[in-house]
Amino acid sequence: MTTPPSADITAGLAGTGSVDAGAAGLTSSGRAWQRLRGHRSARFGVAVLLLYVIATIVLPLVIHYDPNRNNLSQAFLPPEGGHLLGTDELGRDELLRLALAARFTLFVGVAAVAIGLAVGLPLGAASGYFGGWIDLLIQRLTDILLAFPGILLALALVAALGPGLKNVIISVGITSIPGFIRLTRASALSIRELPYVEAGRALGVASWKIVLRHIIPNSLAPVIVQATLQLGFAILVAAGLGFLGLGVQPPTPEWGSMLGLSRNYIFSDQALVTFPGLAIFGAVLAFNLLGDGLRDALDPRMK
Amino acid sequence: MGNRVFALLLAAGLAIVGCGTGGGNAPTGSTSKHGDKLTVAIGIDPDNLDPAAQTTTTAQQIVDMMAEALVSIDSKGNTIPLLATSWTNSPDGLSYTFTLRTGIKFTDGTAFDAKAVKFSLDRLLSPETFKAQKGVLNVISQVDAVDDTHAKFTLKSQFPAFVAAMTQTVAAIVSPASVNVPPNTPKQIQQPIGTGPYKFSERQAGDHITMVKNSDYWGTKPNYDTQIYKIVPEATSRETLVKSGQADVIMLPPANDLPALRNDPNLRVIMSQSDRTIQMVINTVDQVVPNLQKKEVRQALNYAVDKDAIIKNVMFGAAVPLEGPMSKTLAGSCPTGSYGYDVNKAKQMLQANGAAGMKVRLISPTGRYVQDFPVAQAVAGYLREAGLVVEGPATSDWPSYVSGIVLATPEKQAQKTDLHLLGWAPAYLDASQQFEQFYSLRAAPKGQESSYYKNPQVDALIEKGNSDPVASTRNKTYCDAAKIVWDDAPWIFLYNQKLPLVTTSKVTGITGVPNEKFNTVYAAPA
Amino acid sequence: MLTYVAGRLLLAVPTLLGVATIVFMLVRLLPGDPAAVMAGPQATDADIEVLRHQFNLDQPPLQQYGGFLLRLLEGNLGISTRSGHTVAEEILTRAPYTIQLAVLATLLATVIGVTLGILAATRPNTKLDVAISATSVFGISMPVYWLGLMLIVIFSIKLHELHLGGLPAAGASDWSGFVLPTTTLALFSIGLVARMTRGSMLEVLGLDYVRTARAKGANRRTVLLKHALRNAMLPVVTAVSLQFGALLGGAVLTETVFSWPGIGRLLVDSIFSRDYPVVQGVVLVLSVTFIAVNLLTDLLYAYIDPRIRYD
Repeated sequence: MTTPPSADITAGLAGTGSVDAGAAGLTSSGRAWQRLRGHRSARFGVAVLLLYVIATIVLPLVIHYDPNRNNLSQAFLPPEGGHLLGTDELGRDELLRLALAARFTLFVGVAAVAIGLAVGLPLGAASGYFGGWIDLLIQRLTDILLAFPGILLALALVAALGPGLKNVIISVGITSIPGFIRLTRASALSIRELPYVEAGRALGVASWKIVLRHIIPNSLAPVIVQATLQLGFAILVAAGLGFLGLGVQPPTPEWGSMLGLSRNYIFSDQALVTFPGLAIFGAVLAFNLLGDGLRDALDPRMK
Repeated sequence: MGNRVFALLLAAGLAIVGCGTGGGNAPTGSTSKHGDKLTVAIGIDPDNLDPAAQTTTTAQQIVDMMAEALVSIDSKGNTIPLLATSWTNSPDGLSYTFTLRTGIKFTDGTAFDAKAVKFSLDRLLSPETFKAQKGVLNVISQVDAVDDTHAKFTLKSQFPAFVAAMTQTVAAIVSPASVNVPPNTPKQIQQPIGTGPYKFSERQAGDHITMVKNSDYWGTKPNYDTQIYKIVPEATSRETLVKSGQADVIMLPPANDLPALRNDPNLRVIMSQSDRTIQMVINTVDQVVPNLQKKEVRQALNYAVDKDAIIKNVMFGAAVPLEGPMSKTLAGSCPTGSYGYDVNKAKQMLQANGAAGMKVRLISPTGRYVQDFPVAQAVAGYLREAGLVVEGPATSDWPSYVSGIVLATPEKQAQKTDLHLLGWAPAYLDASQQFEQFYSLRAAPKGQESSYYKNPQVDALIEKGNSDPVASTRNKTYCDAAKIVWDDAPWIFLYNQKLPLVTTSKVTGITGVPNEKFNTVYAAPA
Repeated sequence: MLTYVAGRLLLAVPTLLGVATIVFMLVRLLPGDPAAVMAGPQATDADIEVLRHQFNLDQPPLQQYGGFLLRLLEGNLGISTRSGHTVAEEILTRAPYTIQLAVLATLLATVIGVTLGILAATRPNTKLDVAISATSVFGISMPVYWLGLMLIVIFSIKLHELHLGGLPAAGASDWSGFVLPTTTLALFSIGLVARMTRGSMLEVLGLDYVRTARAKGANRRTVLLKHALRNAMLPVVTAVSLQFGALLGGAVLTETVFSWPGIGRLLVDSIFSRDYPVVQGVVLVLSVTFIAVNLLTDLLYAYIDPRIRYD
């Protein structure tokens, strides 16, 4: 029992605890791809994400309203006519703003996960490969980061750093680190015992080369799964910060802050509350479904 | 000189945080109907209930129900007796003696007398008291209990507004014995014991404060046995409560629901007139956008914004247009003109002054005033229509807004923004309080004049008005100053805000007070 | 077993210390003079000095840190800059509301989640299974703050129009006030618990001894309850403890949406009023609670499954 049940909150989000590390490498990528294509919910997730990407690129080109231009006489229009989802409290096209917000939301998610990967992968690999006191140190660090439940660590960091795009990315990024450490460590542990790695070590190949050439590539499958699920979680947390008014600051369109600022309209214009939330839900759902599909495809032993 | 400075300090310390004056529990009608429980939902969670530490009007209004001051303020802004029946000023203007009402008891049964007055004011002035907001009352050098019914205040310097300043909640009289009864300590009162029509019963921080009727109250007795002030930060939740009858009164429903609420036969909307003006303050010495130093450019910005459309579509009627640089409710206000919406004129003026297409930055608090951020967004939209490149509105939490923008040096402010949304509510209903915002000696960071506006002519007129004891000539002087200010346009003058309240049709007797409080003491079942 | 318990407890010490260190550093991350930032705009120099002293900002860093830890050991979390009450007092008066919400949501999530998980696992790949799996993934993808708002819309507007009785109350003074916040908070956990229960049940059902038991003609229900469920309980316990973390985090948002007077809203309010002693206190209390729950889970785990040993 190397991993206590308290491990991997983030992977826990995926629903089946930690992803089994050291599973199929990229050698079986062809079969994995086939399995993924046959995976119904993964296909749905990809479709939704494609829809978002297309919307955020195409809609600003075809909707000829200025996203930041107010027109008070056009405020709170119902979804009809020239405005497919109606207009917001300042007469701005809701659909256009949602589409533009997708850029920021996806960017925050990707950037935060990138931070998580950049820090988590090397630390995890080192932890598993070297073992000993390095492992001990990194594992305790991971425990500490995992001890802050859910959104709390990001919230506390933003409280100290202040709101804004950069600080949200940093805060959510730090929250993503421990999940990646756990995963890479687990693969490193199993891989370092493999005969060819042991042979390499015996021949005096530099440790960093082994980590880079063998450990990290072999952890890729679970890491990809984790990264996908983590993207969903990052979006959920970043939008939560935006909802509280601690995230990306207006007038930059961002789903969480759009939802937070339209809270007062739930009785008068429900569209303004419904759609930003639906957008967040859709994105998180898509990443979760895709993550499920990837896990099933890359590691058929898991169900 | 001393008078003015202290009068200015009074406004400066208080106006920005929306502070008003205390007391004022006089019944407005003679309705006397018994009711069991009145539930009032408010959006603000009082930091504490210590009278000496009060800064926000809504919390003050609760404390006012339990602890009374020597004097109170009526709806016209006049100072009227409360726990004192009369007062005299010494010829040198340095001491005031109040004659106290007799036969009154605090709600803990101890007697109200001059010793209690001395105790309460000494406590306000003591550095040991947690967060004591002595403000202008720092002018007091000594308080003496002459005898049981006379309290004498000796001042450090002359201060004609002293009696008016004694209407504040911070000057409320508390039972000296009560501060040693846990959980109260001399350092902080958690359960105020005063002479008010209600007495403290229970508080669950973050959820509610319960008060019960003081059946021994010396004045007109209230109708409801219990009043519960529920803390409900979400405006829509407050609305749900009053719609379902779980609250009898709420303050600040979502502004956009006002039209629907007005049409609801089970509800009554009360638009309490406030003295608060809302403005987009311009940095008039802006080094980053030097064009803003030009009067014509600032006037152009005023023409560029459609105030009426904002009042109708963003404020949903919870405001009245400004006809001068201050609320009409202030003594000494006069109409000075209007900047009718004219985007073409604005464009021409900007063009003529080399400011066409200039870039400005905007910032606004969120949730501090009714619809503040949406209004700032609307203003930004209008400025874009006039061809400006507008960045923002940005927003920030209130403490950093005040320290980083409102109380910043001109250079620091200009690093962050060019225009900022601000509300200003005079502590008492007098034009001198509004001129705090146009008097160059009060420019931030020394004062709270965050436009850094300076016009020696206006300064001179303000000084003249402030020291003029004759109301008619004083008002004339203020009016002249107001006209110049209006023309110089240190602000984009937006509107005079109202305080929307909603009650169920089962309740009457809720009255608004122009200083952004509302009075539920004499609420009665309909 | 005893070694395991001792070891597990010992392992919690560095975690607690680390959490305390991060909480300690939060205030030191503030830009500029932390004391001035905390004191706020209207503060006098004396106010700032009081805070500087309270946070020991006038001492060398190491001494500040030592003092901070010592006071924590005494249970001294400091004084709220906003209310002047002790942070412990602030948290204790609010905590019952959060605990009520969290316990109710956990119960709801466990009962519904485990039931759904078993239903799905015993009928794999049926329509019911697909529906339950879909519900689960919906649950874990749902932003709680949005769900809360949607429930308010549905219950207080739509149902009101249909005259289906009274509106749910906001606030904790009324039983009906619990319905919406609890539901909101529980949905994520239901999804999580259902998924983990289904997964582990499927695994267990495929194990040899279960198949043997079935082959030997044991009653289906007996197999399910006696063999499968008991063994599947381990991951379920994990799921419940995991969801508890999400739940504590979710409480911050749920309490804000529903104007709920718990410590989650206290945290948000304190961030906005820059009441850093309270921010520190709430973050610390929530994290320590989570650590404690995890610890209990681990011990429970070891109790249920004696094969587990700490090594």
